[in-house]
Amino acid sequence: MDSITECLKEVYDPELGVNIVDLGLIYDIQFAAGNVSVVMTLTTPGCPMHDMIVGGVKRALQTLPEVLSVEVDVVWEPAWAPTLMSDEAKEHLGYM
Amino acid sequence: MFRLPFLFIITGLISFTLFQLFSLFDFATWLTVFGDEPRYPTGWFRVHLLVLGWATMIAMGAMYQLIPVVLQNHRLFSEKLGFVHYGFFAVGTAGLLFGFQSMQVMWIAGFATVAFIGVLLFAINIGVTLIRARKWNTITVSVACSVAYLVLAGTSGMLMGLNFYFEQWGDFHEQLLGAHICFAAFGWFGLLITGFSYKMLPMFYLSHGHSETLQKVVIACWNAGVLVGALSFLFNGPGWVKWSGLLLVVLAMLTYSFHLSQIVKHRHKPNPGVGMKWSLSLAHSLTLIGIIIVIISPFTPDIMAQSRMAVVLGWLYLWGWVGLTLLSYLSKIVPFLWWTHKYGPLIGKKKIPTMSDLIDDRRVHIGLSVIGTSLFMLMVGLSWNQPWMTSIGGSLLSLSSLFYISLIANVFTK
Ligand code: HEM
Repeated sequence: MDSITECLKEVYDPELGVNIVDLGLIYDIQFAAGNVSVVMTLTTPGCPMHDMIVGGVKRALQTLPEVLSVEVDVVWEPAWAPTLMSDEAKEHLGYM
Repeated sequence: MFRLPFLFIITGLISFTLFQLFSLFDFATWLTVFGDEPRYPTGWFRVHLLVLGWATMIAMGAMYQLIPVVLQNHRLFSEKLGFVHYGFFAVGTAGLLFGFQSMQVMWIAGFATVAFIGVLLFAINIGVTLIRARKWNTITVSVACSVAYLVLAGTSGMLMGLNFYFEQWGDFHEQLLGAHICFAAFGWFGLLITGFSYKMLPMFYLSHGHSETLQKVVIACWNAGVLVGALSFLFNGPGWVKWSGLLLVVLAMLTYSFHLSQIVKHRHKPNPGVGMKWSLSLAHSLTLIGIIIVIISPFTPDIMAQSRMAVVLGWLYLWGWVGLTLLSYLSKIVPFLWWTHKYGPLIGKKKIPTMSDLIDDRRVHIGLSVIGTSLFMLMVGLSWNQPWMTSIGGSLLSLSSLFYISLIANVFTK
């Protein structure tokens, strides 16, 4: 599981320059029999980066040898809130 | 979707460059003539090169890019229709511009009609997309209204164009001109910029939890102001009705300014980038100037009725707010468009630049500051009828604009 999270840290929001794990966009990760399923959100519905970030998550995870398939579910409930960001992310954005 | 917005944006950048080069070649003396009598062939030509060839072209491209985003990945009705729209609009505008400059009334009438068909196709494409998506909110309503005003601006423009040839309307032509400017400047550009700001500002400030109620007030007042203004021109209404239209638009601006401050208050990112900060200051300045004009105009009817005053105020609004806001937004929209195209497919695969790596914010700030200062000189020159000041301000404006636009175009090489 750690390797999956580490791998998702390589996926960056290109506008904010912060990875999606530290942004608090990842709600849940399940791994069973080579299949990863990720439940995640985006900072705002109608995020211009929707397809790209979802595509990025898939591409990143597929580089892991133990991963056979990836499923990404984008949800809006619960809505993302700035409090979900890690301290590193808050610091990077200058919001502490 | 990359090619369609790209085509519009590149064409817009070319028109903008041409406009600046033309101005530089005549040392901006055309502006001095324009200050005395705006309705002359070169005046029509230069104004429409800027507002149709540049601003409208860029706005159409940005809309094709942003509408699917605003509608949460709802596809545009037809990309193919978008290209046909481009064909009609680009050819129509080019022909109209040539007609204006060479005062060939046949060309003006014919190509105004072709450009209008382009506008209609655009409205159909955006309209059907919005209706099918059924996601009505303050952004989509503002966009829908702005496009409707573009159609009205195009209709009045085409009618005047036809009247250049058929010459049958006498004074009604003048009334149409007033309505044309209301629809185009305030209706089309006003609701377009305010509407998109409700998306752009929260996105780049990472604002969360602000109320959206005031956006509705802005839409209502802005629409009422444009309609009152345009109808009072169209039916030759008395001065106080026109003033009421202005008052309503200024009330909308005031509410808009206040609402933008609410968005900023709810930010989670102190630095949204220079472009966004500029757009904010521009909105506040516009409001301030608007308030001053609403207050003093009833006491200075003679000054307000002068065509020089109309030129100064029109130029301040169109260049100072619409133009500069578009330029500041371009410093965000173009890196976004290019990044998505070039690096989007690489997310998660390898280390890639962020969007802000594609443009140097410090230079954006310098560029916009010099443009703002030159514009101020130009305004002083035009207001007090000082041809040398107008020429120096106008030429500096063109030089700094060329510098700025090269910064934007340079993004495509990153
Ligand atoms: C299809 C689109 C358009 C067409 C066919 C068109 C056509 C025309 C025509 C024929 C005139 C000359 C009226 C006269 O002085 O007798 C005119 C004037 C004017 N139009 Fe447009 N127009 C269009 C779009 C726009 C837009 C988008 C704007 C944006 C603000 C605009 C702003 C103006 C202004 C400010 C004038 C007065 C210029 C001057 O007196 O030198 N037009 N237009």
